[in-house]
Amino acid sequence: MISLSDIPARGGSPFTPAIGLFALLLLTAPFWMESVGLYQYLGIEIAIWILFALGFNLLFGYIGLHSFGHGAYLGIGAYAFGLFQQEVAVSLWGGIAIAIAAAALAGAIVGAFVSHRRGIYFALMTIAFGQVFWFAAIKLHSVTGGEDGLLGIPRPDLALGPWHLDISDNGTLYWFIAVILLLAVIALWRLVNAPFGRVLQAIRQNETRARFVGYNVWLIKWLTFTLSAAFAGLAGGLFAMAQESAYPDVMSLHQSGLIVMMVLVGGGLVSFWGPVLGVLLYFIARDVIGGITETWLLWFGLMFMIMVMVRPEGLAGLFHVLRQRFAQSQPKTIASTTNPGRA
Amino acid sequence: MIELVPHIINGLTLGLLFALIALGFTLIVGVMEVINLAHGSLFALGAYFALATIGGEWFGSTDIGVWWLSLPISMRYVLALFIGPLLAAGAGMIIELCLRPTYGKAPLYGLLLTFGAALVIEEIVRLVWGTGEQSLTVPQVINGAFLMGGLIFSKYKFFAAGFALIAIGGVWFFLERTPYGAIIKAGSHDSEMVRALGYDLSKLRLLVFGFGAALAGLAGIILTPIWGLRPHVGLDVVIPAFLIIVIGGVGSFWGAVLAAVLVGLSVGVTGAYLPAWSMMSMYLLLIAVVGFRSRGLLGRKSALEN
Repeated sequence: MISLSDIPARGGSPFTPAIGLFALLLLTAPFWMESVGLYQYLGIEIAIWILFALGFNLLFGYIGLHSFGHGAYLGIGAYAFGLFQQEVAVSLWGGIAIAIAAAALAGAIVGAFVSHRRGIYFALMTIAFGQVFWFAAIKLHSVTGGEDGLLGIPRPDLALGPWHLDISDNGTLYWFIAVILLLAVIALWRLVNAPFGRVLQAIRQNETRARFVGYNVWLIKWLTFTLSAAFAGLAGGLFAMAQESAYPDVMSLHQSGLIVMMVLVGGGLVSFWGPVLGVLLYFIARDVIGGITETWLLWFGLMFMIMVMVRPEGLAGLFHVLRQRFAQSQPKTIASTTNPGRA
Repeated sequence: MIELVPHIINGLTLGLLFALIALGFTLIVGVMEVINLAHGSLFALGAYFALATIGGEWFGSTDIGVWWLSLPISMRYVLALFIGPLLAAGAGMIIELCLRPTYGKAPLYGLLLTFGAALVIEEIVRLVWGTGEQSLTVPQVINGAFLMGGLIFSKYKFFAAGFALIAIGGVWFFLERTPYGAIIKAGSHDSEMVRALGYDLSKLRLLVFGFGAALAGLAGIILTPIWGLRPHVGLDVVIPAFLIIVIGGVGSFWGAVLAAVLVGLSVGVTGAYLPAWSMMSMYLLLIAVVGFRSRGLLGRKSALEN
């Protein structure tokens, strides 16, 4: 089986062809989305989930900690954003900062409990903590609004120094979220291709050896958990703004399982871009199959099962294998000096 | 203190019911080291099959269907207690066949595959039986309430708890006192040696998964008259099941029973003071137990830790 470490890291500049293609698609999407039968809001939703999935993959794919309760941090970010807007001040940057801080704090606390575990016990502990947060969100009626959640969260203006831009309609909100996503993607790409990213992969491959080499494994696991929760919080803040509400449903085990499914189907275990493919596939499946039949989740679930059975490396793994086959059939094209880069 | 007694009795019966749910789950985890997230869906499936059997849905309104419905309800109920788990076992065996490519890889893949299977089963249930709440009719004998010490208790809850006790005893007897149990336990301990001794391990795994699924289906039939039956009941059920497994220690039979009773008691007693938060207490119990004993109360080392 191939893994992330089999595809050589590039290091250096994040401005690769893949990121260029991603930016191109992201920034031109509003101009062609409607002509292929999609709609503006879907773009916002996909961008937010890509952000969530990429942050999640730091934990899932890179350091190999399989969290099944990550929806909780998205939810915490969303609630923090909403509560800040409703109780403190209507401010975009304040809300986003609070969303990130709240999710990172929750992640840091949970991380302190789970970071000395691995494997299935880690997964089970994250499920338990995820359920605690989900349960609290439903039961703390006076703070979170119970099952209905917080409603009527405003979309604050974008304040850049003296300028105030109104981003309350879906068109302009998309641009804001796209820029945030692009910055986050560059930051994450840089992070995982830095020495830090190599340490994460070393821990995934063999925790004991990484410890013997001298790394503080617990600290790195805890840091990654917190960082990943912070990205989920950022996605959650944007989610609350897009939905104009925050509700406990996103924190349920079901949603936390779906994000694992998306990352895995896309190939988060073998490629940085895997989660992006997975999120795209999920939302396109939801809208295309969902347009044909009510029971689209049945077909998505079956597709997922087949994927786990025959190609657990996901879509990105499939591309990688196909490319290798292609390269083998033309042996002259691979010189020993060429660096294929990360797909 | 005396006013706590009914809550403790409630907690104990609830604990036995939780143990009934966890039985099949712990069997599959212990023997195959697969976290079967579809356990709850098999639970729901068993209950829905029983519903179809009692209501005679299999035959429609043909002559056989009319004849079937003229049979006494208790007879149909007892038959459903066999047919439901049997069909759930069939579904479980299909899942086991799908699981085969994941053996020998990280335990994560088994968990993911069964999560997918849970989604699929839930959607199939929605498709066949609709999304609404259904109820399973039980015979008059075990329905209703009785008085004890000036307090009203539901007859059915006691029937269910007694049934759970019998099931726990039965599974224990099967695992500890029969040659089949010995083979199953040996298979979880050293699968290569079992294979070398000439036992067909794939068949063994198929049967164990089917048995675990049948136990899930049985738990579904016994429990849904209390908790109600809806397509997503599976998710509500699988969570307590694996909390119990983790608290008790993965692969430990008595650990699971002990943990189930503890969870039942904590939910029952919290229910006396803070009813809205009673379900939360089991998560806190988990965090407390696992915080101190990482392998649970009676756990042993397992391949799932890697």
